[in-house]
Amino acid sequence: MSELILQALYSGVLQGGSYALIALGLALVFGTMKVINLAHGELVLLAAYMAYMVESKLGLSPLFAIPLALVLVCTCAVLVYFLVSLIRKDRELNSLILTYGIGIILTNAVLLIWSADVRSTSSAWFQDAVVVGPFYSMRSELLFFVVASVLMAGLWWWLSRSWYGRAVRAVSSNRDAAKLMGINPRTTEIVSFVVAGILASFAGVAIFSYGVIQPAFGHALTVKAFIITVLAGIGSIPGVMVGGLLLGIAEALTVTLASSALQELVGMALFLLVLFLMPNGLFGAKARRG
Amino acid sequence: MYVSKTGLAVIAAAYVAVPLLLGSNNYVMSLIVAAMIIGGIALAWALLGNLGGMVSFGHSAFFGVGAYVSALLTMKAGMPIFAAMLLGGVGAVVASLVMLPVLRLKGPYFALAILAYAHIFKIIATEWSSVTGGSAGLASVPRFPELMGFDLSGKTGSYLIILTVLLAFVAAYRAIRASHYGIALRAMHDSEDATRVVGVNSTLLKALMLFVSAFMTGVVGAFNVHYINFLEPDYAFSGLWVTLPIVAAIFGGYRTILGPLVGAVTVYLVDQLIFKSLIPSGHQLVLGALLVAMIIFSPGGLMPLLRKDSRRKHAAA
Repeated sequence: MSELILQALYSGVLQGGSYALIALGLALVFGTMKVINLAHGELVLLAAYMAYMVESKLGLSPLFAIPLALVLVCTCAVLVYFLVSLIRKDRELNSLILTYGIGIILTNAVLLIWSADVRSTSSAWFQDAVVVGPFYSMRSELLFFVVASVLMAGLWWWLSRSWYGRAVRAVSSNRDAAKLMGINPRTTEIVSFVVAGILASFAGVAIFSYGVIQPAFGHALTVKAFIITVLAGIGSIPGVMVGGLLLGIAEALTVTLASSALQELVGMALFLLVLFLMPNGLFGAKARRG
Repeated sequence: MYVSKTGLAVIAAAYVAVPLLLGSNNYVMSLIVAAMIIGGIALAWALLGNLGGMVSFGHSAFFGVGAYVSALLTMKAGMPIFAAMLLGGVGAVVASLVMLPVLRLKGPYFALAILAYAHIFKIIATEWSSVTGGSAGLASVPRFPELMGFDLSGKTGSYLIILTVLLAFVAAYRAIRASHYGIALRAMHDSEDATRVVGVNSTLLKALMLFVSAFMTGVVGAFNVHYINFLEPDYAFSGLWVTLPIVAAIFGGYRTILGPLVGAVTVYLVDQLIFKSLIPSGHQLVLGALLVAMIIFSPGGLMPLLRKDSRRKHAAA
């Protein structure tokens, strides 16, 4: 039994890497622009379908889809930014409805192009078992966990050391003060959307390489990403990373101990519990109460 | 309550002319009833958005809970349908209680929490199969009864029921807006902090609006289940019950009472008659595009635009 639980913890951590990537994109955009991009999960889905297309049409490894996905997803992310920036009044609520609409467009575009069938990778190399100590996983799970870790380390470096990364943090914490320091908030907002797109591209290819995808999946990913940011507390980047791992672990444990049908439920339960008990999230510093 | 002459004429036409002229055409009547179901949810959604200042992406939860409560009460407890429909609304209110802690959070949290929350009920309805019939669903949910020799379960009978329900909603909406709650809510829309300072319990008011909106959506869900006599989780909690009403309300103008209803009829009929035949599987794409276009070009919806135009014409004349 304890071996099963340990194995579930291990799978959960691997899965949590991609979750964290998705949630980080959502959190970065919310930080700079105070907009929750409800189409974020659909951007991830787009990258996943790029991977599917490269594998099924060109017969190449889904890994080759990454450059393609980067271009497409970042373009879409910038488009989302421009549409959101066109909103004239009541941006907080209208941006939700707007990005919800973009999500509908993307989901149905995916449905039109690739049909509603469930897709998964056929690459044997990806699905081969890899043994690390006592734990088992698919090769793709481990590979993309390493990729996610590298990306998060890179993001960490970028946010703390590079000029644009620091500009993103400055705009997130105080827009007006950042402006006075000579930072153009609009450029920073675009940068945050592009970075979110980059993270989403890798996460999408990762999800295709070890799981199954279907058009309705994008919506579920947005919900997961939001749950993670609430777990973390908005504004806490390391919190989001831990939150991603937590959600991955919670889901994997539920699948092992109860049933896979309840996998989605545990995220919601965790989410409501955190909202009830600690509304600022596990790592959030700023008060969110109105 | 004040009802204008045109209003009375429209109501009379809706009760008498529509059944007489179109009642024999089952296809047209089924389209109209479906559009009115969407209209009912759109009205409830717009009430929450306009009076409560909250955007919900989870109204499918209330719709589905209302449907399940009413179906189960009539099937397992033998309750009369109309009482069960009301209790379906009550069930949706009970379901909305879990959202209360989220009301205290500012910004997009409510919208997102309720989005996440709608998923919970679909899973419960699927997994709790001893009561809900699981993913196979409930078949042969009781139909509407005969009343004084008139069969209410037909298309025309169902049309008259949903019409009455919608009129009751419109009257309730108007009454709330005209009451002192309505005034406080309007003040809250301008500045929530200022309204709290003068002693209005804004969280309580928001909660009340959430209850009203959930109740309305639950009743519509209950109506729908007795109308189609069948229920399964994927259908009851389908995202369509969120998407279509939002598009309808935004299109018609969610700050007006009639906008969502007009929007629902327009959007639903155009979607079903034109776009569904053009693109059978992904026709919702058009709805998404419409939503994006409305938010960017005219977030207030079409009703206020039309009214502005007619005012201009009057001023010019």
